[in-house]
Amino acid sequence: MDTDLTFEQLVRDHQAMVFRTLLRLTGSREHVDDLAQDVFLRLYRALPSFRGESLITTYLYRIAVNVAQDEWKRRRRDDRAHVSLSDETSAWEERLAHPDRNAEQQLEEREFQQTVEEQLQLLSQIERTILILYHQEERSYEQISYALGMPIGTVRTHLHRGRKKLREAIQQRQTKERRTECQTNQ
Amino acid sequence: MSDESMNSKLVNKAADDEQDLRILRALETAPRTEIPADFAARVASRLPAGRRPVSLTPTHYGQNAVFLGMILTFVVLIALTVHNGRHAAFGLAESLLLTQFVVLTVWVSVRRYSV
Repeated sequence: MDTDLTFEQLVRDHQAMVFRTLLRLTGSREHVDDLAQDVFLRLYRALPSFRGESLITTYLYRIAVNVAQDEWKRRRRDDRAHVSLSDETSAWEERLAHPDRNAEQQLEEREFQQTVEEQLQLLSQIERTILILYHQEERSYEQISYALGMPIGTVRTHLHRGRKKLREAIQQRQTKERRTECQTNQ
Repeated sequence: MSDESMNSKLVNKAADDEQDLRILRALETAPRTEIPADFAARVASRLPAGRRPVSLTPTHYGQNAVFLGMILTFVVLIALTVHNGRHAAFGLAESLLLTQFVVLTVWVSVRRYSV
């Protein structure tokens, strides 16, 4: 990258990525604005030592993950339950709305998305982070490895384990729901 | 294995694959974000006064130093080869420099920038 640009422009270029990553990492819309500001201020402070060995986006992911970790620690201290992404707005509704699908299918997809979101928040921090960076942000193993400061092999292991846990948790929940449904129908 | 159990296995496998696809689709769906219109301006206003434009131009000082070192090592290697045979120390120095040259070449070719 051979350009000099104002910091405001840099923020504008990367704000969407920082917001959506923080939103899913923390599982809450609460304070996301403040956390995103923190990410960019940390980036500004770190820029003099930025050696250009990585892309600025990879560097930002690294900072965003650190900020999310601090937020998890703060929550643990405050012992507060997280707010679900769907509490304030139906975030998934518009994205999942598809003209060809009927209302029932859309509702089912929305519920499934919500289940995935809830189960994602129950995974360990590292597994959740890797799943988000890999699937949502489409980062490579190498970029995730740099962002988290861990070997590529470990990233692969956590990704595989995270997917497996998520799948099992969702299956368990669905089985439980089906059983409850059967009992209420009897 | 009976046809029935094989069919049931195939059905289960298809259901698992479908479930995996649904999970992946859900993971790939990014949440909708609501970014305040003045967010970038607000962040910029919190920066210390008298800030300079942000430079993201990679300097690669270390990388350049490594290339310079490789060229120098190569030149010295050639010089030692020309003078080879005069003293045993030349042979030892040559081996050390050759090792260094090979290590640097491997390191430079393996190392990736712009992760």
